[in-house]
Amino acid sequence: MKLRKITLLSVAVLALASCDSTDNKTDKTSTKSDDSVAFASTYKPLPSQTTLITNAFIIDGIGGEIENGSILIKDGRIAAIGSDIDGGDADVTLDAGGKYVTPGIIDIHSHLGNYPSPSIRAHGDGNEATSPITSEVSAEHGVWPQDPGFDEALEGGVTTLHILPGSANLFGGRGVTLRNVAARTVQEMKFPNAPYTLKMACGENPKRVYGSKGGPGSRMGNVAGYRENWIKAAEYKAKRDKGGDGFTRNLQLETLADVLDGKILIQMHCYRADEMAQILDIAKEFDYKVTTFHHAIEAYKIGDLLKENDTCAAMWADWYGFKMEAYDTIRENVPFVHAQGACAMIHSDDDLGIQRLNQEVAKTWADGNRAGLNISRADAWTWLTSNPAKALGILDETGSLETGKRADIILWSAEPFSTYARPEKVMLDGAVVFDKASGLKPTSDFRLGQAYQGQIDKNAAQEN
Amino acid sequence: MKTFKTLSLSAALSLSVSFSAFAQDMLIKDAKVVTNSASGIIENGDVLIRGGKIVDIGANLTAPSGVDTMDGTGKWVTPGLFAPFSQLGLVEVSLEARTNDVSASESSMSVSNRAADSFNPKSVVVGNTRVEGITHFIASPGAGMNIFGGIGLVANSSGAFDSVEDGEAFIFVSLGERGADTAGGSRSAAVNQLRAALDDAGAYPSRYDGPEDGDALTRRDAAALYRAARGQLPMLIAADRAVDMINIIKLKKDYGLDVIIVGATEGWMIADELKSAGIKVMVDPQENLPASFDSVAARLDNVVMLDKAGVDYAIMTRSADLSHNVRVLSQHAGNAAGNGLSWDKAFAAISATPARWFGTNTGQLSKGDKATFVVWDGDPLEVTTGAELVYIEGQAQSMRSRQTALRDRYNPTKTDTLPHKYR
Repeated sequence: MKLRKITLLSVAVLALASCDSTDNKTDKTSTKSDDSVAFASTYKPLPSQTTLITNAFIIDGIGGEIENGSILIKDGRIAAIGSDIDGGDADVTLDAGGKYVTPGIIDIHSHLGNYPSPSIRAHGDGNEATSPITSEVSAEHGVWPQDPGFDEALEGGVTTLHILPGSANLFGGRGVTLRNVAARTVQEMKFPNAPYTLKMACGENPKRVYGSKGGPGSRMGNVAGYRENWIKAAEYKAKRDKGGDGFTRNLQLETLADVLDGKILIQMHCYRADEMAQILDIAKEFDYKVTTFHHAIEAYKIGDLLKENDTCAAMWADWYGFKMEAYDTIRENVPFVHAQGACAMIHSDDDLGIQRLNQEVAKTWADGNRAGLNISRADAWTWLTSNPAKALGILDETGSLETGKRADIILWSAEPFSTYARPEKVMLDGAVVFDKASGLKPTSDFRLGQAYQGQIDKNAAQEN
Repeated sequence: MKTFKTLSLSAALSLSVSFSAFAQDMLIKDAKVVTNSASGIIENGDVLIRGGKIVDIGANLTAPSGVDTMDGTGKWVTPGLFAPFSQLGLVEVSLEARTNDVSASESSMSVSNRAADSFNPKSVVVGNTRVEGITHFIASPGAGMNIFGGIGLVANSSGAFDSVEDGEAFIFVSLGERGADTAGGSRSAAVNQLRAALDDAGAYPSRYDGPEDGDALTRRDAAALYRAARGQLPMLIAADRAVDMINIIKLKKDYGLDVIIVGATEGWMIADELKSAGIKVMVDPQENLPASFDSVAARLDNVVMLDKAGVDYAIMTRSADLSHNVRVLSQHAGNAAGNGLSWDKAFAAISATPARWFGTNTGQLSKGDKATFVVWDGDPLEVTTGAELVYIEGQAQSMRSRQTALRDRYNPTKTDTLPHKYR
């Protein structure tokens, strides 16, 4: 168990988009269609009805709450939201009975599909740990859509998730943003027009993995490795911009050049405050942006720097101590970063943690307020949806309950910061994809015919 | 509320200087008191603590002269939490081998390795755990050079050098995948090793009269297994696959063992068998994925089904962590409650049940019991709740930890402008 956790932890993400300017970035990177690129998204929303949710306690994901609110969903998008809206032509009315309704949760750091269950050797497709520089690989090529973890994450309210390569490398490869939809192929899950990301990693992992394989063997070597490759990337980009017959594609440098062009967002695994500060300087040296530091155990020590650089921090509520660079966390990391004016969010990096990210936010939110902060529940919800959406360049599509956005919605059984609260219904683009009452839930192929399914059938037979 | 705060603050302040505990008599008034006894939950309960014991509990108690009263309005008072499975105090930084004393794969001995000889009560991990309301835990060695981890301990979280309450509390054994690995590559080898060891220990010392060693154990290891092999000491056996547990049931019958299964992810499939065999289990109610081919039948309501069958169970935090994040124990119990277990049972599974198994006499609050309790600012199974006071046998424990020290240094509400290292 310990080993498995450490493997997962060894992954991280770093994004280039800024917290505040992702709308522009998205516009810049969105193309009319994904058809022109390899591995294009074939995602199609499930059929949905025009639905009016009434009598809901709405947490909108951008800091607002509406008591006794309504949401009208049309063509899979939010057509109206408020306390007094006209839902006259709705096919279905869903009376929430005063229960909580929130945006679907977004996990910016997951390895579902890349390190799927069961966690056996053959399933270790999350890290091309063969060289410190593997920016040519892409997480999507290692995603197994039958990972049973996707189904359980959906039951936990996760509607969008970002899958990253592992953190053994300085440049680990591209990450991919997925819709948590039942699918046979990863293309069917790809979030349409979401920008790619580049996973990079600081600190212990690259030097541990490559220290005896030619380096880097120290944090000094790590930094030299970043800089040398950004120099190559700049040269490559200049050639690419110039074009002509002499230009040959190089997948490794193409990813880095796309970062320099602002098309790919950097998601960087980095724990220590002093290291994050050095990475921010490298970003200035080569004129790119670090969108998000992942794990960011010591982000609370440099909230001011993160704010100044418009860089987000994705954090756990309380994991620590599994390695030295994770020794200094505090339970108040997320709220302390938020209180310093920087962009904070929760992440899981775990196939069980992803199932209850609301609880992780609840814990750290309560600890922050106990330490003297005064953060509202609605503001804390930004750590689950709108801030990760910003950091992934998809905030114009999801992450909050606002008119025009995808209707990615959770109806909760109770106040969602309670340990006892569970999603009762989860909607993806307005279609109900999980429903506790009716038992609607996707089941991975892997679960079929196993002891699990057999025993359930047997129990059902006995009950009948 | 006010008096309460003042008292706890002054207690914390004095503790922050010495980091040591002191005995304190007091009367807590009008709190929600979880007794874990036949008295159940007392809504407006009073608890009188004197000389490290609970001398009275009920309603409308008055403070004897010289005893401070605390207003417990809005607070919950419960027995201290007990982590039924952990490696607390055995590891400081997991990946740094020199700070990690959990297992010894190169050791020449196994069963006789005592966790108590590695246990560091001053580990910051112990303090970080204590402030979350965990007063007791077991610390178990992990399997290393063979299926045996060694001898586990029971300790309290005071951080004192004498905090190990039982240095020889159980023997830890791994079966399943991990056992197979350490035994040479198969489950057959692991079970065979266990049977051979039990035979060695069962025949100890006579089998060791001559110059020959036992079949599986050295003389010293056989002596260490002596009591467990006769059912006089609990044997904690890690296993998750249903059929592995069926084999453990056979072992228990053949040797008359006192078995606690650690894991039992597929326990729900054989809940009735576990119940009739009288086997106790430690489960993590958040493990619902087929994480390995030992747990393809994992499901979220495993613990609910074990409860329905009448199995004796405790709740652990294996999926979160067994050292640094044992502190999320109450969250795991809370999730069991959220998935259908009754609140009382979920709470007992992290307090009264392990306390009963390991004989600390701490799991309940009634007249004459040890004053080992926690005052919370709400329902302890809610993730938003925090522990305000932790008492072990009448002694107020420090509510400071390395993490609260870092928190206080970097708290953004502070107006201090000195460099952080001076704060």
